Amino acid sequence: MTATQDRADQTGAGESAVTETRTINLIQAVTEAIAEEMERDSRVVLFGEDVGARGGVFMATAGLQAQFGKNRVFDTPLSEASIVGAAVGMAVRGLRPIAEIQFADYMGPGFDQIISQAAKIRYRSAGQFTAPMVIRTPSGGGVKGGHHHSQSPESYYTHTPGLKVVMPSTPYDAKGLLKAALRGEDPVIYFEPKRLYRAAKGEVPNHDYVVKLGEAAVRREGTDLSLIGYGGVMPDLERAADALAAEGVSVEVIDLRSLVPWDRDRVLTSVHKTGRAVLVSEAPRISNFMGEVAYVIQEQAFDVLTAPVGQVAGFDTPYPYVQDKVYLPGPNRIVAACVKALTY
Amino acid sequence: MIQPFTPEPIRYVAEDGTPVQPLPARFTPELLRELHALMIQAREFDRKLITLLRQGRTTFYAQSSGMEATQVGLARSIRVGHDWVWPYYRDHTLGLAMGVPMYELISQCLGTNSDTCRGRQMPHHFAAQAQNFVSISSSIASQVPPAAGNAMAQKYLGVDEITVCTFGDGATSEGDWHSGLNMAGAAQAPALFVCENNQWAISTSIREQTASETIHIKAKAYGMPGYYVDGNDIVAVMEVLTQVAEQIRGGGGPALVECLTYRVGSHSNADADAEKHYRTREEVEEWLGRDPITRVEKLLEHLGHPISAEERAELIARTHREVDEQVLRAEATGQPDWRIVFEDVYADLPDHLRQQEAFLRAEQTGGQA
Repeated sequence: MTATQDRADQTGAGESAVTETRTINLIQAVTEAIAEEMERDSRVVLFGEDVGARGGVFMATAGLQAQFGKNRVFDTPLSEASIVGAAVGMAVRGLRPIAEIQFADYMGPGFDQIISQAAKIRYRSAGQFTAPMVIRTPSGGGVKGGHHHSQSPESYYTHTPGLKVVMPSTPYDAKGLLKAALRGEDPVIYFEPKRLYRAAKGEVPNHDYVVKLGEAAVRREGTDLSLIGYGGVMPDLERAADALAAEGVSVEVIDLRSLVPWDRDRVLTSVHKTGRAVLVSEAPRISNFMGEVAYVIQEQAFDVLTAPVGQVAGFDTPYPYVQDKVYLPGPNRIVAACVKALTY
Repeated sequence: MIQPFTPEPIRYVAEDGTPVQPLPARFTPELLRELHALMIQAREFDRKLITLLRQGRTTFYAQSSGMEATQVGLARSIRVGHDWVWPYYRDHTLGLAMGVPMYELISQCLGTNSDTCRGRQMPHHFAAQAQNFVSISSSIASQVPPAAGNAMAQKYLGVDEITVCTFGDGATSEGDWHSGLNMAGAAQAPALFVCENNQWAISTSIREQTASETIHIKAKAYGMPGYYVDGNDIVAVMEVLTQVAEQIRGGGGPALVECLTYRVGSHSNADADAEKHYRTREEVEEWLGRDPITRVEKLLEHLGHPISAEERAELIARTHREVDEQVLRAEATGQPDWRIVFEDVYADLPDHLRQQEAFLRAEQTGGQA
C-alpha cells in the first residue's frame, strides 16, 4: 500500500484506487494548496508581510505574485492587527482572504482582531455577517529562533469559540487541510510547523483533494499504548514508537491534525484498545490543549485505563534560544513517559 | 471643493442660526425640516430608552443626545444599503437615520426574540444586514482594521461602494485605529473614517487623550486628507461628508473627517451624573447652547420657515408613541430560548458543541435529552 492509499483509507477521503502521486515537502504543499485554490476561486486573495516579490520569509508564497498579480498577492504594512483585521473586513465583504502572519509569535498585535472580530462576528450578528478566512502562520521550535520565533501559541486560539485551529505534520495533510480551510465558512488558524517545512516529505496525489477538518489520522496501529500528538513533534512520536517497537511494545501513533474541532472518537477508540495514553505537544504545559484531551480520556475511558494519562509538553518558561533542543520534547522524553505508563 | 486641514471647524450655520456662508442650494426648508425631524426622533428615542432602563426593561444604554447632527448628517451623506458601515457603539442615531427599523433597534436593546442578533450581545450593539450596517463590537477601535479590509475588498471587486468607519475620540489612542488608517492609506482603499469627537471617553477628556491639537491632523501621518467639521452643524456635516464620500467613491483614496461635537448626557447608565464626577455643569451648559436641533430651528426661523410649537410637540409625541408601540410589540415576542447559545458559533455545529447542546437541552427540558 502506498502512503497515499494508506492516508486516504485513514481519512475516509474516498480514494480506493492507486492514484498518481508526487513526493513534495510540507512547504511545497502549502504553496500548491494556495495556488490551486487561487486558480479555482477568484475570491481568494493572499497578503501579509513580504509575501509578494520576496515570497515570504520561508518562501511559502514564492512565485504566487508573479502568477496571480499584485491585486491578489500583496505585501502589507508591518502590522498584524492590520493584516488580520483587513482579512476580517474582506471576508465580510465577500472575499476569501489568506492572511500570512510571519511568525505565530507575532500574532499578539492581531490578537484582538482574531478574538473580537474574526471569531465573534457570525455569532454576534446571528449570521448576518460572517468571516470565512484563513490565518496561516509558521509555528513551533527547533530552528534556533529564540522565544519570538519558536513558540507554540495554539492553546490561546483553541480557547476561543468561533475559531477552528489546525496544524498539519505531513505534506498530504498540509495541502488537504489548507484547501478544506479555504473552502469552509469559518475563520481558521492554520499553524505550520516550521521545522517540518522542508524536513517533512511525502506523497500527495496529483488530483484535487481535501482533508476534512476535525479528523485525526492513525499514523501506525498498535495495541499497548496510544501516543497522541500534532504538528512539529510527530516525527519524534514516530521515533519513540520505533524505539519501543524494538523492545516489543506495540504503540499506536495518532496525529490529531485539527485541534478545534478535534477527533474525540478516534482518540477514544484507540485508548479503549490500548488502555494507555501519552499526549505530546511542545507548547508549555499549563493550559496546554492536550490537557483537554487528557480530561476527555479520563472522563470517557476511565474504566479501561491501566495507567494515568501521560503528558509530555514544553516547560512553563519562555522558549530558550540556546537550549532549543533541551526545551523540546524529543524521543527520549516521549519514550520515558511511555515506559512510565507501561510500567505503572 | 471643501478644503482639508482647516485650523477651525468648517461650519455653515452659526449657533444663533445665522448662515456664516451661503447655504448650498439643496438645503431647502423642506430638507432642513426632514433633518430636524430625524434629529428630534433620535433625541426622543434616547429619552424613552433611558426610561426603559430605569424601568429595568433593558440593562445598558449609551445615549447620543447632542451628537444628532453628526450621525444624521453622516447617514444622509452616503448611499444606504450600497455603501458599508462599520459603526461604533454609540451609533443608534446613525442606524435610525439610515433606516434601520426602530423595531429592530428596540428588539436588540431588549434582547427579545425579534432581535435580529438573537440576544447575543449586550443592549445597544446592533447589526443590520439590509443597510450593510455591520455588527458593533464593544472593544474600542477593533472595527477600524476590518473597515480598511472591507474597503480593500471593494477596490478589489471594482465596485463603486465606499466603506464608512465611525469611532469616538478615545478610539484614536488604540493601536487598532492607527493600524487601520495606515492600512487604508497604504492600500488607497475607499474608506471614510469619521471621528465623532464628543470630547470624552467615559471620564477621560480629549486633552488627556492626546497631545495632538486635533484628531483630523493625524490624517497627515497616514497620507490622507483630514477634515475638521462643526459636528453640531448638520449643514456642515452633510456638505463635507457628501463631498468627501463622493471624492472617495471617485477613486480619491481614504479620508478622515473629525466632527467636533459633544455628548451632553453621561457615557452610559454606568456613569450617570457625569457632571458630579468628571466635568462641570458650566461645560455642559455651554454645549447645550450649541445644540444641533436648536440650531436648525433657529436657521429655519431665520429663513422664514419656523417650526411651530405644535409641530415640534407632535414630532415628539409621535416618536414617544412609536417607541411605546415597538417596545410592546418586541416584548410580546418573548426571549430567545436556550438554543441561541450554540447556533452561529460556526457555520455548522461541530461534535463538541453538539454534545454540549444535548447537555443543555436535557437540563432545560428536565432530563428529556
